[in-house]
Amino acid sequence: MNKVTVKTKVSNSTFINISMLGVLLLFMIVAALIAPRFFDITNFANVISQQANLIVVGIGITFLLITGNFDLSVGGVIAFAGVLIAYFSQSADSGSDIVLGNGLGMNYGLAIVLTLVACLLIGAINAFFIVKMKVASVIITLGTMAVSRGIAMVAAKGALRNVGLPDVFKELGRISIVGPINLPVIIMVVLVALALVIEKKTLFGKRMYLIGANKEAALLSGIDVGRQLTVLYLLSSLFAGITGIIMASKFNAGIAATAQGTEFEVLVVTVLGGTSISGGFGSVISLVLGAYILGVLSNTLNLMGLPPDIQTVVKGIVIIVAVILQRLALSRREN
Amino acid sequence: MKLKSLSWNKIIKDLFIFAVLILIILIFTLLSAKFLRVQNITNLLRNSAPIIFVSSSLTLLMISGHVDLSVGGILSLSACTYAVLLQRGVPYLWAILAVLAMGCLMGLINGFLVVKLKIVPVISTLATMNFFWGLARLMVPAKKDLIKEGLPKDIDNFARQDFLFGIPLSFYVAIIGVIILVILQRKTILGKYAAAIGGNSTSASLSGINVALTVQSLYVIVAFFSAVAGLTRASYMKAGDPKAGIGMELDAIVAVLLGGTSFFGGSGSVLKTVVAAFVLICLTVGMSVIGTEPYWQTLIKGIVLIVALIINHQLTEKVKD
Repeated sequence: MNKVTVKTKVSNSTFINISMLGVLLLFMIVAALIAPRFFDITNFANVISQQANLIVVGIGITFLLITGNFDLSVGGVIAFAGVLIAYFSQSADSGSDIVLGNGLGMNYGLAIVLTLVACLLIGAINAFFIVKMKVASVIITLGTMAVSRGIAMVAAKGALRNVGLPDVFKELGRISIVGPINLPVIIMVVLVALALVIEKKTLFGKRMYLIGANKEAALLSGIDVGRQLTVLYLLSSLFAGITGIIMASKFNAGIAATAQGTEFEVLVVTVLGGTSISGGFGSVISLVLGAYILGVLSNTLNLMGLPPDIQTVVKGIVIIVAVILQRLALSRREN
Repeated sequence: MKLKSLSWNKIIKDLFIFAVLILIILIFTLLSAKFLRVQNITNLLRNSAPIIFVSSSLTLLMISGHVDLSVGGILSLSACTYAVLLQRGVPYLWAILAVLAMGCLMGLINGFLVVKLKIVPVISTLATMNFFWGLARLMVPAKKDLIKEGLPKDIDNFARQDFLFGIPLSFYVAIIGVIILVILQRKTILGKYAAAIGGNSTSASLSGINVALTVQSLYVIVAFFSAVAGLTRASYMKAGDPKAGIGMELDAIVAVLLGGTSFFGGSGSVLKTVVAAFVLICLTVGMSVIGTEPYWQTLIKGIVLIVALIINHQLTEKVKD
């Protein structure tokens, strides 16, 4: 008897994913009804590409959340990477008088490598404090958020670096496949596919869930929790770094104040998609669904011509309602 | 012998944040003679009230293992509501009472989401932060940044004008608030329950503590104090500014953690949070006094937080040994 119920019922995780997919489709139908322009090819492609950066950063965060850890430093790291890549590749003697006009004049490829190494360093600091010094992940990543954003602020004097950049600098952000389907979208698709394989098919993925579900048990069963978390924090900083470089290329500038609040936006979309903030439960699929539910909502509100203030209020309400519904659905299933 | 050294380390840990404050004051005094001038100290105390209100009340909540990210949103919405009410000619007393009542209501909403609907505090208060902040923005007339026109001229009496020794009333109210919170934490059942819930929520519940009621009350207390901070900001700026509370949640949490309260709850001290808040204020004011460009502030604050974590860790390890 028991066996039959187990077979006919999908797992809680799949159940949440299917329900959230339903919500996404519902939102799209509503969007099409109130704002007929929603399914215009350019608008639709815009919705897809607008969330690409958020999803790329979100992969690292989702993996960490599954293990029960946070990374609040990603927004800072995006700005840090953007300002660094600009500083590294600005010509050393651009002949301009302003201080921010001169950089190090490096080859762009070398600049990318060095920027990513610097981002990995931030990830290493996070991992060191969490693994070796047993500091709560929220606190230390709050610290590295301030440090990485702070370095970006100092290196750009609170503003931006956009003088004397080589022509190649703006290429990454302009690569386009079809219309607005651009490099970030390609990177997103590749990384999401990779992440799904890691999550579902590899030992590395299974360990993440085990650590999140019960850290003590994971330790006792011989899992090197420290190494696993270190790899995940490095990945998270690396993804944020890649995003920072692409965003800098798109703006053709390294901007110190960019990506403010990204860490919270990512948290919201992962939880909206059904990943548990207390660990052991979640998926990259949830991340993608959550990101697009919010993306479709924003786009619809925009098409309806609502001012951004009302949008903030509506988003707050939708998030609360979504989380409450998930909880209700799960508890009804269990009864 | 062992016992003795153990208590020594505990004393060092207890005095750590006080030492940091004195050290920072010393450094800035050495760097600039202006730092200890009366005018600068008055300015420093005048600016300190909002963060004291928010961080000291947040300490109680965080001792219970919960967090409130919506404090900045509550602050902004309270400041804007206050300004709108005064603009419409509502007398001070009623405007203040209305804002405080609304603050309590916002705390009830947060508590309801966390306690009754069991949504993780980080998410529920993140959502209400957006919600409150958006409402505050909606109060501002179109194409304006502030609610400024038609406010009574004496609105700044509370947070800007001299009340006693050149310092405005808001600072003294903040001190009274801190005293009340210290008593709440140390002498009342609410403080003991908060620590018990933060230590282990399940065993607290099993030993007969009404966890739901306690946590709900703590959220209302935090929201009430954040609303007072909102009144203070509105009075200081002579305007209702929806951006008044931006970043407050971060500053307040940093102050609470710097003061040694554990992020997972169970232990902490309101008094040490206030000292830590002064560390942050002295850093901000001190850096502007010695002429550091404002863009250095984020980096310096981050470094201070990380260094404090390292030292705190070393001290804790020693206490454990």
